[in-house]
Formats: sequence, C-alpha cells, structure tokens
Amino acid sequence: MTFSRRSLLGLAGAGSAALALGACAGGETSAGSGGGGEEGDGTIQFWSNHPGSSKDVEQAIIDLWNEENPDTPATLVDGGANYEELGQKFNAALAGGGLPDLIVASDVTWFNFAFTGATTPLDDLWTEAGVDADDIVDTLREDYNYDGKHYGMPFSRSTTLMYFNSDVLGEAGLPTDRGPETWDEFAEWAPRIMDANGGQPALVVPDGSNYLDWYFQGMIWTFGGAYSTEWTPSFTEQGSLDAATFLQEQVAAGHIQIAADANNTFAIGNASGLLQSTGSLGGLTDSAEFPFLTTYLPGPTPGACTGGAGVAVPDGISDERKVNAVRFADFLTNTANTITFSQATGYMPVRKSALEDPEEATYLEENPNAMTAIRQLNENTAPQDNARVFVSGGGQRIGAGLDRIAIGGEDVAAVMEDLQNETQEVIDRDITPNL
Amino acid sequence: MTTTDQVRHALPPTPGTGPGTEDAPALTAAQRRRAARRGLAFQGGSGARILGYAGMVLALLLFFVPLYFIVITSLKTQGDIYSDPISWLPNPFAPENYSYVLSEVRFDRYLRNSIIITAILTVVQVALGVLCAYGLAFLRFPGRNLVFLLVIASLMVPNQVTVISNYALVASWGWRNTFQGIIVPLAAVAFGTFLMRNHFLSLPKEVMEAAELDGTGFGRTLFRVVLPMSWPTLVAFTLITVVTEWNQYLWPFLMSDTDAVAPLPIGLTQLQDNEGLTNWGPVMAATVLTTLPMLVIFLILQKQMIKGLTAGAVKG
Repeated sequence: MTFSRRSLLGLAGAGSAALALGACAGGETSAGSGGGGEEGDGTIQFWSNHPGSSKDVEQAIIDLWNEENPDTPATLVDGGANYEELGQKFNAALAGGGLPDLIVASDVTWFNFAFTGATTPLDDLWTEAGVDADDIVDTLREDYNYDGKHYGMPFSRSTTLMYFNSDVLGEAGLPTDRGPETWDEFAEWAPRIMDANGGQPALVVPDGSNYLDWYFQGMIWTFGGAYSTEWTPSFTEQGSLDAATFLQEQVAAGHIQIAADANNTFAIGNASGLLQSTGSLGGLTDSAEFPFLTTYLPGPTPGACTGGAGVAVPDGISDERKVNAVRFADFLTNTANTITFSQATGYMPVRKSALEDPEEATYLEENPNAMTAIRQLNENTAPQDNARVFVSGGGQRIGAGLDRIAIGGEDVAAVMEDLQNETQEVIDRDITPNL
Repeated sequence: MTTTDQVRHALPPTPGTGPGTEDAPALTAAQRRRAARRGLAFQGGSGARILGYAGMVLALLLFFVPLYFIVITSLKTQGDIYSDPISWLPNPFAPENYSYVLSEVRFDRYLRNSIIITAILTVVQVALGVLCAYGLAFLRFPGRNLVFLLVIASLMVPNQVTVISNYALVASWGWRNTFQGIIVPLAAVAFGTFLMRNHFLSLPKEVMEAAELDGTGFGRTLFRVVLPMSWPTLVAFTLITVVTEWNQYLWPFLMSDTDAVAPLPIGLTQLQDNEGLTNWGPVMAATVLTTLPMLVIFLILQKQMIKGLTAGAVKG
C-alpha cells in the first residue's frame, strides 16, 4: 500500500479518532466518591508491596485477624514490586473502580493521595473504631499530619542507618561501637577503612533509582542545606551546594561507591560500610558473612530522616468499609503485631507500648543493631523536606540529579540549579494553586 | 549504411550477442555489473568472507553472552555472583536456586496462568487477525480503506494511553482479578490484521481466480487455498503473538490481585525485594524457567518464522 499525502492526512485523522475513542471508554476519573462510596464484597482488601520481604509475616498477621474476625476477613493483595508500582495500581483503581480497603502508602506517595482527596482522614475513624492513637509513636504518627488531620498510620517505618563491617573497623584501628560523628570525620576514616579492606570503598550508597535522594537528605542537612524550606526549594543555597560537592568528591576519591545493588555489595564484603534503610536489617543479618554494627548517620543533628511506609484508607469506599479498614490497620500495627513485624524485617516498632513490652526490651537488648534506629528516631532524625516527599515526582527527580553529580561528575551548581527550577515549576503548577 | 543499421548502431548491443557469449544466458549491462560485484564479494575476497564471519560471531556473542550470564547466575551462590573478577562458571555449583524458586514462589500457579492467558490470547488473536485480514484483503465493501486506516491508526496509539479507560471499563463489568479481565482487552489484533492483510495481497491473483472458477466458496478458499500458502507468515505472526503475550506485565499487574490469575512476570517480582536484599540467583533461576518455554517454541518453529519474516522480501 502506498501512501499519498491525502492518505497520510487521513491516517493522522484516524489516529486522532482512535485516541478519542479510547479516551471515551470507561467512567469518571476523579478520586473521591459520591453517594456513600464503593461497596466491597465483605473482604478487607489489603494492597501491599511487602516491604522488607514481609509477605509471609503480613500473611501470618492476616491469618490471626481472620481467626478473630470471621465476619470481616482480610486478604493480602500483591500491590506491586515497590511503592511506586503500588501507587500506579491504586491510581488505576481510583479512576476505574475496584478500590481496596487499605493500601501501603510510602513517605513519597501518601501526601499526594491525601492532597488529591484519594485517601481519607483517619482521626474520626480512629475514634469510631476505638483506636488508641496516643499509643502510636508521636514522631511517626505526625509524619502523616496534613492540615490538622492524619492520613496514614505508621506500618513499616524506618530511618536511614549506617552499617559498618565491625572487623574492618577494628582492623583499621577505629572505634567499633559508633560510626563517624560528622561527614568530615567520615572523610578522615575512609582511607583507613579502605586500607583495612583491600582498597574496597569505605561506604556504598544506593543510586538515584534506589532512593539516593532519601539517603542524601541527612547529609545535606548536616552541611546547613536542604532540599526545601516549607514550599521554597533550596537546592542552590550554599549548604546544599557544599553537601553535593562533598558527595561528588568522596565518590571521585573512591571513598563512597554509588551502586544499584548496594545491599549485596556490602553483604559480600565488597564495601566496608553501607548507607541503607532500617528495613534492610533483617536481610543483611541473614546474608552478611561478617559481624556488622548499625550506627547513627553523621551529624550535626539532625543527620537522618524518617522513611518507609504507612497504611492509608481510600476515600472512595463506603463508611462501613472505612471503619473495618481502620480496625484492621489497628490490628496490623498493634503492640504484638508491630513487634512481630519489626523483628522479622528490621523496621521500627510503631507503638509506644511495644517499646515497653518486656519481650521486646529483651530482644532489643540482645540485638543492639535493631535498637539503633529506635534511639536515632528520638535523637538524630527530622521529617523530610517537602521538595522530596510532597512535590510530585520529587524523589525521582532529585535522585536523577544526584546521579548526574555523583556518577556523571557533572557540574554541581548547574545540576542543583536545574533541580531548583524544575521543583519550583512543579510547585507553581501543582501545589500553589491548591494551597 | 541503411537507416535501420544506423538505428541499430545507436542502440546498445542486444544482451548475449557479444563475442564469446554463444552459450551464455542473455544478460543486460546492469545484470553484468551486479554479477561482477557479487563475484567480488563471494569469489574474489577471502578477507571479505572472514569479515562476514567475524560479524556473525560478534552478533552471536552480543545475543549469547547475556543469555549465558543469566543461566550461570541462576546456578551461582550470592557471593559468587558478585565475585571480582567475574567468574565465568559457577563456583560452587548452586542448583538449589531452582528448588528455592519452586518452593518459595507459587511458580506452578503462575506458570499455569501464563499458559492459559497466552494460549487463549494467541488463538483469539490469530483467528481474529486472519479473519479481519482476509476480509480487508478480498472483500469489497464501502469504507474498506477507512477501516484499514483505523486499524493502522490504532497501532499508533500506545497501550499506556488506553490503560486507565480500559481499566475503568473492565472494572465496571466486575472483571478485576479474572482471566477474562486480563484477556479480553488484550485481544485486539491490529498488528496481526496489518501483517496478514499485506501478506494476503501479495498472493498470486491467478490462484484466487482459479479457486473462484472451481466454485470454491469464500470461506473455503481461506482454509483450502489462502492459509496453506500463508503458513510461514502465519507461524511468524503466531510466534510474535506468543512471545508478546507471554511477557505482558502492566495490564495483568493492574488486573490481578492474587496468584489465582497473575502470570509469571508478576510472580518474578515476588523474588525481588524492596528495601531488603535481593538474592539474584533465584531471580535468574526463575527468569530461566520463564524464558525456557519461549526458547523451546522458537527453536521448533524458527525456520518457519524466518521464512515468514522474509516472505515478500525477494520478488519471485
């Protein structure tokens, strides 16, 4: 078939028609619901991406729930390979129906869902379902506070941690009961650590596709910078530039390695230190073939941020489903279950009562690595910057920029300028008109 | 010299009439030039031949090395995977990655689902594709070209654009987490229609006319005349469909909630860990097991597929 200009124009027209026909299919695409919300089938649908290899422990908790609540059974749904995929699946359900009762909402997805009305405020539901919200660890509970209401309950919560090979620290003649207190001290330690481990990097950090933006956030604060102050981006402030320059220099010197699979690099001994989530503790404990310690991130305080995920309830489901979902979320994160979950994965217990539980106290005493995050939460953490967690696509955008600086060796000022402008553009477009 | 001789003199010599060409086939000057070039390529230069083989070996390595690494990684321990320098053979040999996959992930369920989804989609797509193409190629009706243009136009719309509207439609029918919810929206066959129609149009008209003269009906002609002549293209179309549907991820992921209907690519993600630690040995073992059926099918049908893809490339 040969195409004349006329038939090509026809083809273009037909393409538009096909697109229009495709767009006509389906129903409304707004979040939220009208008229009482979507009814379910009597089963609580819990969409999870099983953070920290938690599928088995999640299922065990659900089995307990089902034993105790045969009238409102829960089912575990594979919501995707990571937080972002789960967000995609939830977005599809928001547009097309088939909403779940409870979703895992990460530090970078919960706000957008709350902001667009996709998830519901929980305060009244807590009262109705008899949830003791005061028992939730204050810092973690308040992470989900937006406009005076809470849009999530902490579930798989973490902070960034440093993991160090104890043998290498000992070999290097460095303390084996703490990490570096400042990033400058890390820079002093790094050559000694490398010498003690055959020239392997002193620290491996996940790359921009694996949340480098999250790990770097503590570092940028300690240099006096930030991604943003409230809704004002601050990538181009001197402190931010200094932190990014430090990262670039450390990578260039071989002290820090940026890797796609940082956990494995550390676990097999190809790096002496690791910057990672608390949620990696379970996996590393199982797989590392050497003793390691977990430490705070370097200061000055705050040098680390909270992270991980909570659970949220869609706004578009019926009131009855919402209450049942909150009852289930309360069970999922109650004292006994948060202990079970945290011991299986390495995430932090999210209830105050869990920290006072004698069995948990014994466990933490026997496993000081698990205690580090809990202590650091009160002593060395701060909530994340809006530019990363509340601005749409913030994490991925900053991660890609940091890759350009650390791996690509690009000009720090130019990359940070780009981040400044791109972030401001998104804030002006998506946030400012709705504030 | 007569006028005829003058005209003859002005024209180039008739092919095959030159001295020493009594038994040679008649060739035009252009054909002789082409033959000379071919002679250079295939008779003259052993260097060119070596270059050709080197190119083939390079292409083979390009495809083979990643496959080789997937297979050997599936038989390595976690430490061995990250050994520096890279080891080209598993040391120690770790076949337990395969048993881990079969016990840890409901591999049998995901495999069953993949087979069901792929088999049904392939049958439906091939049947619909052939029938649509046959109609567009041999039926005369008003707006036929417009319909074909719409078919081609739909090829230009990325699947991602229609995902949300399809989701809304299928969810409103209550088809989430069902086989029909996964299969029906994927059953559209613009590519197959396009491929088969163009192939049908390349078939000799005389054969079709002969069938018509023999009184063969329109439907019977398809099965007794057209399809037997279209076997290579049909096999290529079938194989492309099988591989495409076997690897589908986004739509089945959005539609499925449990391992009751989710296919293998979704099962594979169960072996990866976010914020934890991924053991790549089992992931690669599962990848090998997932790829194996496709490889076997391709090896069985590769000759037919290559024939189909090159059909029409050489004018006979």
